Amino acid sequence: MIKSKTLNAAFLASLPVLMGYVTMGMAAGILLSGRLERPDTVGWAFLTSASTISGALQFAIVDWISRRTALVEAALLTFCLNVRYAMYGLSLLERFRGVGWGRKAYLIWTLTDETYALEVECKVPPGGNPVNYCLAVAGFNHFYWVAGVTLGAWCGRLLPFSTRGIDFAMTALFLVILTDQCRERRNRLPALIGGAAATVGGIVFGSANMLIPAMALMLGTFLVLGRKLEAEARV
Amino acid sequence: MSEESRYILMLAAVTFGVTVLLRALPFLLFGTGRKCPAAVTRIGGFLSPAAIAMLVVYCFCSAYQERDFAAAGAGIPEAAAALVTVGLQLWRRNPLLSICCGTAVYMAAVQRIF
Repeated sequence: MIKSKTLNAAFLASLPVLMGYVTMGMAAGILLSGRLERPDTVGWAFLTSASTISGALQFAIVDWISRRTALVEAALLTFCLNVRYAMYGLSLLERFRGVGWGRKAYLIWTLTDETYALEVECKVPPGGNPVNYCLAVAGFNHFYWVAGVTLGAWCGRLLPFSTRGIDFAMTALFLVILTDQCRERRNRLPALIGGAAATVGGIVFGSANMLIPAMALMLGTFLVLGRKLEAEARV
Repeated sequence: MSEESRYILMLAAVTFGVTVLLRALPFLLFGTGRKCPAAVTRIGGFLSPAAIAMLVVYCFCSAYQERDFAAAGAGIPEAAAALVTVGLQLWRRNPLLSICCGTAVYMAAVQRIF
């Protein structure tokens, strides 16, 4: 059992995420209900949000459904979108070492940006168990996200105005992530390389086929310039 | 089950699989105490900002995939909305505010002007 003191601390720490997830989740749910006008849209909103728990992806899925994006392309885009998660685990290896596989699986499955931030901070009260604290935070955040998306999909069809153009929310979300990443100097040149590789791919191959050549170009550049980029980042 | 349901189900499975695999990757590779090679950490650090920048470009490209460039506003709605989004994020650092205002600008532009 998780001590109630630990549970309280986790709940208080998760409150900002409650605000963020419910509003962002509702926006994604509304977007889905506008594009997917079916009686079971709410069910799909629940399924996709509960299983994947990924903010930007929830917006992207809507776009992919309406375009019938090929599954391979969707997999590549998901990789681009979420490759940052692979870096998060590196700094949590120590904290989760020795945790039973069931709890560890849940902690890994629910590792979003916000949950990661709270778990790294880990403001567990004295005498509390850090792993239990992380489990509680992950559970709360998981619940907020699913509730937001499902609620948005449910009430989206009641909106009295045209939602044409609302899909820009996804681009805006990426722009916000990118802006925040570029506050750190060492991220700027890599971002420029990624953007340039995508631009070249888009011009040469068209938007439908740009991803694989763009990713190859980007990785090639990193392999060739790796050490130089790192030296640059330290300046 | 309809064709559409089957597609969404497969899409959900693919996105779930890739996302969870990425989250689990460090634990699968280095969970047993093996050291993470320096090259992996180095390239990994570059990858995240580069991939997000790539997605931004992809969004702008695919917005014009099925439309005529000039008739659909020649990128002006996107540029205006992007400026508002980035500007607000730099100024106020409030993601929700930046996203809502940027999207509102874009919706107004494509619904009223173009």
